[in-house]
Amino acid sequence: MTAVTVSGKARGVPLIDGIDKVTGRARYTADLDHAGALIGRIFRSPVSHGEIVRLDVSKARALDGVVAVVTGADCPHTYGVLPVAMNEYPLARERVRYRGEPIAAVAAVDAETAARAIGLIECEVRELPAYYTSAQARAPDAVQLHANKPGNLEREVHHEFGDVKAGFAAADLVREAQISCAEVNHAQIEPHACLADYNPLTGRLTMQSVSQVGYYLHLMLARCLEMDTSRIRIIKPFIGGGFGARAEVLNFEIVTALLARAATGKVLTKLTREENFLTHRARPQTDIKLKLGMRGDGRLTACECEVVQRGGAYAGYGIVTILYAGALLQGLYDIPAVKYDGYRVYANLPPCGAMRGHGGVDSRHAFECLLDRMARELSLDPFAVRRANLLEAPTRTLNDLMVNSYGLGECLDRVERASRWRERIGTLPAGKGLGMACSHYVSGAAKPVHWTGEPHAAVNVRLDFDGGVTALTGAADIGQGSSTMVAIAVAETLGIALDQVRVIAGDSAITPKDNGAYSSRITFMVGNAAIDAARKLKSILTGEAARKLEARVEDIECIAETFRVGTGGQASLPFIDVVKAALADRGPITVSGTFTCPPEAQGGKHRGGAVGSTMGFSYAAQVVEVSIDDATSSVSVDKVWVALDCGHAINPLAVEGQIEGSVWMGLGQALSEETHYVNGLPAHASILEYRVPTMAESPPIKVEIVESHDPNGPFGAKEASEGALAGFPPALVNAVANALGIDLDELPVTPDRIHQALLERRRAKRLAAVQEALS
Amino acid sequence: MSGLLPDIRIVRPSDVAAAIAAREQHPQSRFIAGGTDLLVNMRHGLIAPQSLIDISRIDELTTIEMGAAGLRVGSGVTVAALARHPAIARDYRAISQAANAIAGPGHRAMGTVGGNLCLDTRCLFYNQSEWWRQANGFCLKRDGEICHVAPQGKRCHAAFTGDLAPAFLALGAEVEIAGKQGRRRIPLGDIYVEDGLAHLAIAEDDLIVAVHLPPTAAASAYAKVRLRGAVDYPLAGVAVALGVRGDSVASIRIALTGTNSRPFVLGGTDALIGRPLSERSLQQIEQLVQKQARPMRTTIASAHYRRLAAAASARRITAALYAEQSG
Repeated sequence: MTAVTVSGKARGVPLIDGIDKVTGRARYTADLDHAGALIGRIFRSPVSHGEIVRLDVSKARALDGVVAVVTGADCPHTYGVLPVAMNEYPLARERVRYRGEPIAAVAAVDAETAARAIGLIECEVRELPAYYTSAQARAPDAVQLHANKPGNLEREVHHEFGDVKAGFAAADLVREAQISCAEVNHAQIEPHACLADYNPLTGRLTMQSVSQVGYYLHLMLARCLEMDTSRIRIIKPFIGGGFGARAEVLNFEIVTALLARAATGKVLTKLTREENFLTHRARPQTDIKLKLGMRGDGRLTACECEVVQRGGAYAGYGIVTILYAGALLQGLYDIPAVKYDGYRVYANLPPCGAMRGHGGVDSRHAFECLLDRMARELSLDPFAVRRANLLEAPTRTLNDLMVNSYGLGECLDRVERASRWRERIGTLPAGKGLGMACSHYVSGAAKPVHWTGEPHAAVNVRLDFDGGVTALTGAADIGQGSSTMVAIAVAETLGIALDQVRVIAGDSAITPKDNGAYSSRITFMVGNAAIDAARKLKSILTGEAARKLEARVEDIECIAETFRVGTGGQASLPFIDVVKAALADRGPITVSGTFTCPPEAQGGKHRGGAVGSTMGFSYAAQVVEVSIDDATSSVSVDKVWVALDCGHAINPLAVEGQIEGSVWMGLGQALSEETHYVNGLPAHASILEYRVPTMAESPPIKVEIVESHDPNGPFGAKEASEGALAGFPPALVNAVANALGIDLDELPVTPDRIHQALLERRRAKRLAAVQEALS
Repeated sequence: MSGLLPDIRIVRPSDVAAAIAAREQHPQSRFIAGGTDLLVNMRHGLIAPQSLIDISRIDELTTIEMGAAGLRVGSGVTVAALARHPAIARDYRAISQAANAIAGPGHRAMGTVGGNLCLDTRCLFYNQSEWWRQANGFCLKRDGEICHVAPQGKRCHAAFTGDLAPAFLALGAEVEIAGKQGRRRIPLGDIYVEDGLAHLAIAEDDLIVAVHLPPTAAASAYAKVRLRGAVDYPLAGVAVALGVRGDSVASIRIALTGTNSRPFVLGGTDALIGRPLSERSLQQIEQLVQKQARPMRTTIASAHYRRLAAAASARRITAALYAEQSG
């Protein structure tokens, strides 16, 4: 791919839909025109695990104002993510497996009637034993949640690369850690909502939803409603945050479509915040056993890691998550041997799913914590230990991940300098500490979930009489700025002003299919497809300009909306004149650009090798400074320095925002966010009890953008939205260790956990003193 | 999980007498001012009044007066107005700090002094949706038989979590109450009892009109233990008012919130009066708090931590107030 020069003018622009959002013009799903829409509402299981003995919806159906009631009997099809692991019904049939699982749903003329109807549904469940921890669910005598999953294991992964035994034998220091990370949730600001409109005359269904994956929603609706895909249209309104919460099709979307068809009309379903937490699909509670071997100079010799994820009641993304947790042990550092054992466990809790930094965050946390502990033992600086293990691009990791660009070394240099690490480490007053860690993330999964043989991304670019360029993309802008990225890619390639490009995104009737907003794939894949489309359009226009200017095509350039001949040439034509000439020839123009990840990017041949495979990794390093209150043991983060290698910042303003967002989300997981179930009931299911950090906790974040120019990236770009997340929790825990001399094995680092650790240390010291006195 | 508000009749009396009359006239009614506690609880189905007596527009309730007799704060004064009052910040600092520590800016703009003093008690088994509570077999505080926090016991352990009460208690507040029998003034502490189910010892149609504070020479402070620097209710809250003469403690009053079903004044601190505040005194304070604070598992954070953090906070702010006033 030839290098594209990105001129100054389009760099660092506000998101093209930003003004609509901040002025309130943007319409989110709940704001759509739902005149005449019925209100959908879901009846949910009150028990954790059991067989449905009796379900009677007749009273609900008979209630005045109720138009439709649907149950599991209305949909005999499962849905899910991987074709091999679709084990969830939109409405439970025969068995329920977690408290809050949808069993039936009603559509009524208003919310009050719908609520009353839900109260009239009678459901009898014969309870089965329920399991709320991985250990309970894996106990030998535990009842199986799913008939085909013995041991309540969704997937076991056993990978070994290199000679692990020899690696540990060659080490000067071998240490282990057992680290446990609480389950967290995306807590996106906009609650789930969708509006389904079924036209009984045409047999067509239009679905507007908060989905990050309109294409998969399209497929699942067709599957569950037994409809032809051509009769379904999916439209994505403005979306108030995704983070993975909507990276898979959600039960309420299918349920609402079932209701709309049953009611032969329009149904709006808005979930409460509690229902958002019950829908969940976020990062699982994870237990990690990690063993690392290190030479005296900090060079890693081997890594052995066991990960147990409590995945909840259904598969969802589970297999992918447990594979990521192992695959992403690699790709950041050069490790000669890696053994990974992963266990994805079923439990009677809301299903987990994908969440920002999917799969890699918790095992990275354990890795970076243990790395620091060992560095301390060997009297090595944390930066030196990371530097001793850098990769050298281009390379392939042991598990066959492709690394073509690698800016981690520069990230380390930048944050070390910016934080004045060398001057300050070890000199801070009592109760203050500095910590650091690194992380990385894929720029899109190189192998899509559903293999179709089609390109991995497609963008259409249209040109008509008005002279405006319209980019059509199925890519879901969920606030991350992907539509702006597409606009910049097209404008830069064509040599026209950014506001000459209009982006229409996420309407299956108009825009080309896109796999969706997950695994940070859009910039790399859709960006390349957008450039490809714009180049095709450019070649048509350049040809036209050459004809009009009587010059050779290769001498034509378009800069600032003017076509010119060569350098210094006088002859020029305004963009619009060239457009008119082109249209006169061939009528309105639509070109298609595509991008496909080459086979060598699609991972190793081992089972599960596709997960983790990508065109390129982003790399990040960060330093966190903390203060710990000696009365309450609460941690405050004073400052964060973070550097991220995103290849090339197509829109530095958006990149900076995404890095800050990643750090901030990592901060939440590190400091205060956790779910807490009481016999399977979420005690955390509100924005009050699920403690997302507030402005009061938000530290100044100094962002440094590193550009390693990936040879295959659009303008050299890679992902920028997830890579910096995983480094935050370990940097914080390392900073706490620096401040207090205590190594914490649990996330989040709440004051009661620190308090407890301090008590235990005091107790251990006393005990040691007593033992010494006795001996 | 319904989250819906039922149909409600709103009554807007123009003065206190009319408010009391309206409360009597509408049997299933509640007073409402800011609604920051009441409406959330209504949406959770915890209370289901048929009428709301809106007292937010009664002039008498919304004034702050400061004079030789001390301070009078109308019960309808918003938390935000209390928080930004410069003379209160100067003379009754604990009040100001407590007000600033309440929830977030939106809540402070709406919520009132009376509402915060009469806040319903809270518990993780109680402040949940109807669906949640039903699935859990309800609880002693509402619709159920047992307290999930202490299933063997006979009482409700929901915790009082208002931030203002301990600050007012430490500074010796009285409340002015209007009721059917006219007006009366009683010590603020007298309106609370140690029962999560019914922690307010005033009649249903009693209306707190104002809080009165005597002039004080003591310096005061409030410390709030919580997981986040905003929004959260206190896991524990401690207010201290400390007077110092020369190097000796002249007066000391410590009050707590968040740990028990009522806010209360810590007993046994009189022993510290008349001598300098020593390390020994501070240890005594910690011990008193640890003994009298009785947090239960009403929050996700551990009860043990709440007790120890309350004690450490009491020690810290007492020491700071002493340091500030002595030599």
